[in-house]
Amino acid sequence: MHDELERLILHNRSSFQENEPPEGHFERFEAKLQKASKPVRKISFQPILKIAAIVVFALLAVNQARIYFFPEKQATLSLGSISAEYREVEFYYTNAIQLGMKQWDKLKNEGFISESEQEMMQKEQEDFDLMYQKLLEDLKANPNDERVINAMLEYYQSRMNVITLIINKLQEVKQQKYQINETEI
Amino acid sequence: MVGNEVDAEDVMQEAFLKAFTKIDTYEGIVSFGAWLKKIVINRSLDQLKKRKVKFEELNEKIPDEEPVRIEISEIQMDQLKKAIQRLPDGYRVVLSLYLLEGYDHEEIAQILGITNVSSRSQYLRAKLKLRQMLHKEELFEYN
Repeated sequence: MHDELERLILHNRSSFQENEPPEGHFERFEAKLQKASKPVRKISFQPILKIAAIVVFALLAVNQARIYFFPEKQATLSLGSISAEYREVEFYYTNAIQLGMKQWDKLKNEGFISESEQEMMQKEQEDFDLMYQKLLEDLKANPNDERVINAMLEYYQSRMNVITLIINKLQEVKQQKYQINETEI
Repeated sequence: MVGNEVDAEDVMQEAFLKAFTKIDTYEGIVSFGAWLKKIVINRSLDQLKKRKVKFEELNEKIPDEEPVRIEISEIQMDQLKKAIQRLPDGYRVVLSLYLLEGYDHEEIAQILGITNVSSRSQYLRAKLKLRQMLHKEELFEYN
């Protein structure tokens, strides 16, 4: 049972609840709302882990595909890989051979080399290449075998000598041709 | 319930913000209004806790006062509201919850974490205090 005071309040309850918020309430609330709704930069590890897993998987797949489709050439074993001295020797011979071949090309372009000579040279080079491949296989099988190393050295020397010999002969021919031309004039 | 307009505004705004952010926790067991009201009350209590208000256990029996007649027309509602606002925090909370928010003593005991008896005695003390204040201001006329 309620007394008079209670009844007074209860009967006028609505008037206790009709208070309007103070002026500027909405603006203040809006400011709080914006502050509260600012995205909190939480680092969610779940998506990051997912992405990381996808990236790792993709990298592995690409790597496997690369290995499958483009098998890496095995580090070429050559005379140079045996020791620093041999590397120098190899460097000397390969440079000399390349230089000889450049001179050959130059003479060819100048028209001092006939087609049959070109074919002969082509054949020589192919034979040398085959010999080199065979020597490489031998070297791979017996990397410390002196006989193989010596054979490699002989190969380089022979190839260089052959090219030098041919180039020298061709240079002689070239000189002779110039001399003939000059005496004719 | 918190006794002043500034705190009341803060409580209301924070309660709404909380309701917005926790809307996914509303299970629909009670009405939305009741859910929101509970949030407002909890925020009010949090606000009062900042003022170190303690809802103490009161087991002493306070006899119900004799009903008195009040001339409603003579009461100025504003003064009554102000008198309620001037009540000590603990009294005002229990009186507001009981008379204005419509909770019974069982519910108030649960909300405030006190016993049913404490809620009743706190309420009776609040009412007594209010009556004294109103009487002092000659807002009450005893027959």
